[in-house]
Amino acid sequence: MSLVNLDFAEELKEYSEDTALECFNCGTCAAICPLVHDNFPRRMIRYVQIGARQKILENSDELWRCLHCGLCTHTCPREADPGEIILGLKRFVVANFRRS
Amino acid sequence: MFNPKDIIETLANNVQQTASPFGIPKFMVNTWFKHASLPKKGEYLLFTGLMYQFTPYIEKSTQYLEKYEGTRMAGLLKYARHIPSYISGIGLAMITSGKEKKNAGQTLKNICSLLKKSKVDFAYRPDLDNYSGILLYDMGDQKGFVAHAKKVAQKLQKAGIKKIITVDPHTAYALKELFPKYTGINFEVKSYFELLNLKSKDCGLEVTIHDPCFFGRYLKLSDVPRKVLTNLGISASDIRNQGEFTSCCGGPAESISPSLSNEIMEKRAKELEEPGKPIIAYCPICLGNLKKSGANVEDLSTLLVRHI
Repeated sequence: MSLVNLDFAEELKEYSEDTALECFNCGTCAAICPLVHDNFPRRMIRYVQIGARQKILENSDELWRCLHCGLCTHTCPREADPGEIILGLKRFVVANFRRS
Repeated sequence: MFNPKDIIETLANNVQQTASPFGIPKFMVNTWFKHASLPKKGEYLLFTGLMYQFTPYIEKSTQYLEKYEGTRMAGLLKYARHIPSYISGIGLAMITSGKEKKNAGQTLKNICSLLKKSKVDFAYRPDLDNYSGILLYDMGDQKGFVAHAKKVAQKLQKAGIKKIITVDPHTAYALKELFPKYTGINFEVKSYFELLNLKSKDCGLEVTIHDPCFFGRYLKLSDVPRKVLTNLGISASDIRNQGEFTSCCGGPAESISPSLSNEIMEKRAKELEEPGKPIIAYCPICLGNLKKSGANVEDLSTLLVRHI
């Protein structure tokens, strides 16, 4: 069972701009991403939106597959900045493993 | 894929202890300028960020990572951060080919020749030329990046530097966009090709340009090298993914997953080889990665120097 953390968006503000709620899950980012991997980065952004903090930590290795190439951000129709959200999640995970 | 934590902590420790992500002391990495007789004063400061100088070491360390990815040995990487950085760094420096180190320096000498030919008033100060810390930023070690960037920027500020020439897209992005945001220190930053003023007879050559993500998309500078080439009578073939829509060479994944990096690189190399023309890269990471694919690729500065 996965728990939802309603304060997660607040927690993430320390690591990146709060743009995840701009996303309407169209999937352009996952379609254009050169990784073509398991709905990346769309799935991660969805996790942020619903506060699935634990899911992000469980799947955190995936974040470092990101090439930071910026194609997702460049093509996002909602200017949700998926690339920066992924970078912010990397910072969140790094801070988390340094704390533990 | 390696455990990101092992890679990040190793890189972070190296930068903290030696100011280099590979732990190699600067006096061993940055030697290209020694016989180049470059001025110490000028309107601009040439700031290489050491990225071209790192390429032979990146290639060597990636060979090892490639060998151990997905094996039991990969788990041993977690102990790497406990080895003093300068010991592992000097070890890496000793097993890296001298020929490759010399080639990396030659690119920088070529860039200096191009700047001189274009009558750009620039200086080089090896004491001020440091790694920007960009890899820490990309990896999500924000604290490590900011701490390192502040040291680099403050040193430049203290020396009264206002105008900087960079030679690679990662350092250009760091100095232009990230340093002002995270260190509060601003410089006027130009990439070397923005300052070139070269003319030559039409040589009828056509090349395919691979735009690096940071120059093509983030900094939107991909038109500039095309104009420089046009002035030398060199045309660039059109490919589907170029300029702002360029495709990644796979380089950024090479420390975490060399196999993923190779997969992306093969795809990009195929796109670039389609027109059947020589390929030109203008980023040391892209250049190294595309070379690995066996593509006929060279650095922009190497091509330019041959035609002036």
